[in-house]
Amino acid sequence: MIDSHHNWNTSFKPLFLGFVFSIIFMLGAYRIIIHSHLKYHWLLFTVIGLGILQIIAQLVFFLHLGLETKPRWNIAMFIYTILLVLALVIGSLWIMQNLNYNLMM
Amino acid sequence: MNVADHQFPDSHHDDYSKTTFGFWLYLLTDLMFFATIFSTYAVLKKSTFGGPGAKDLFSVSYAMIETLIMLTCAFIAGIGGVYAHRKSKGGTIISFVLAFLLGGAILGMIWHEFSHVFAGGYDWRSSAYLSAYFTLLGTFALHLIGGLLWTIVLLPPLFKVGVTSLHLKRMSCLRIFWQFLSIVWVFIFTFVYLLGEI
Repeated sequence: MIDSHHNWNTSFKPLFLGFVFSIIFMLGAYRIIIHSHLKYHWLLFTVIGLGILQIIAQLVFFLHLGLETKPRWNIAMFIYTILLVLALVIGSLWIMQNLNYNLMM
Repeated sequence: MNVADHQFPDSHHDDYSKTTFGFWLYLLTDLMFFATIFSTYAVLKKSTFGGPGAKDLFSVSYAMIETLIMLTCAFIAGIGGVYAHRKSKGGTIISFVLAFLLGGAILGMIWHEFSHVFAGGYDWRSSAYLSAYFTLLGTFALHLIGGLLWTIVLLPPLFKVGVTSLHLKRMSCLRIFWQFLSIVWVFIFTFVYLLGEI
C-alpha cells in the first residue's frame, strides 16, 4: 500500500499504466469469447489467465501491492488470503463434482 | 538511512499506514466472503432446473460496458487519492464525485439487468442457479451502495476543512474500497459473463 521510496502515492503515471493494461487484457478476453476458434479448455485457460493478469495489473498499479518496504505485512496477508481462497474454491468444486459423479447426476 | 526514511509516510508506524493496513485486512476478509459466494455460484452453475442459464439471460457486451465503467471508477478514485496526497481540495472533491457518479451508474446497470430477468418471468426462486446469481450480484450491489453512502458521509467535511491528515487517511480508505470493488468485478466479469457464454 505504502511506498515512501517510489512516490507512487503522488504520481498519476502508475494509474494510467494500470488503466491501459486493464483495458488491453479486458478487450483481449472479450474478443476471444466473441470471435472464438479455440477449443473449450484453451478458451477457459486464456480467459482466466487474462482475468488474472488484469487483477495483477490493478493490484500493482492501483493498490501498489508489493512495493512497500520491509516488513511486508500487506503482501504477506494477501498471499495467505489467496491460499485460503484457493483451498475453499477448489475444494468445494472438487467435492461437489465428485458427489455429482457418485450420485450419477 | 536517508532523510526520506524519517518522513511521512514512515513505513508501518504512522497512523496512515496502520489505518490502511487495518482496512486492507477488512478487505481481505471481504474477499473470502466473496470467494464463498463464488464457489457456490460455480457449484450451482448448471443447476438451472430447466430454466435459463447465463448464456440465455445476459449479454457480454452489456457486461463489458459495466466493466469499463467499474474500471474507470477505480481509476478516477485513484486520481482522487493522488490529489488527496497532494493536499489538493478541489481535485480530491471532483474526483470522488465522479467516482460516486460512476459507481451509481454501475448500480443502475445491475438493477436494469435484474429487472430484465424479472421481466422474463424469472427471479431468485426460479432455480438454484438464479439464487446463486442474485446472491453474488446482490452482494456486489450492496457493497456499491456502501461505497456511495460512505462517499456522501466523507465529502462534506472536505469542503469545510480541506485535506487534513485525518481526511487523507479516510479518502485513502475510500479509494482502496473502490479499487477493491473493481478487482472483485473482474472476477464477476470473467466467471459469470465471459465464461457463462461458453
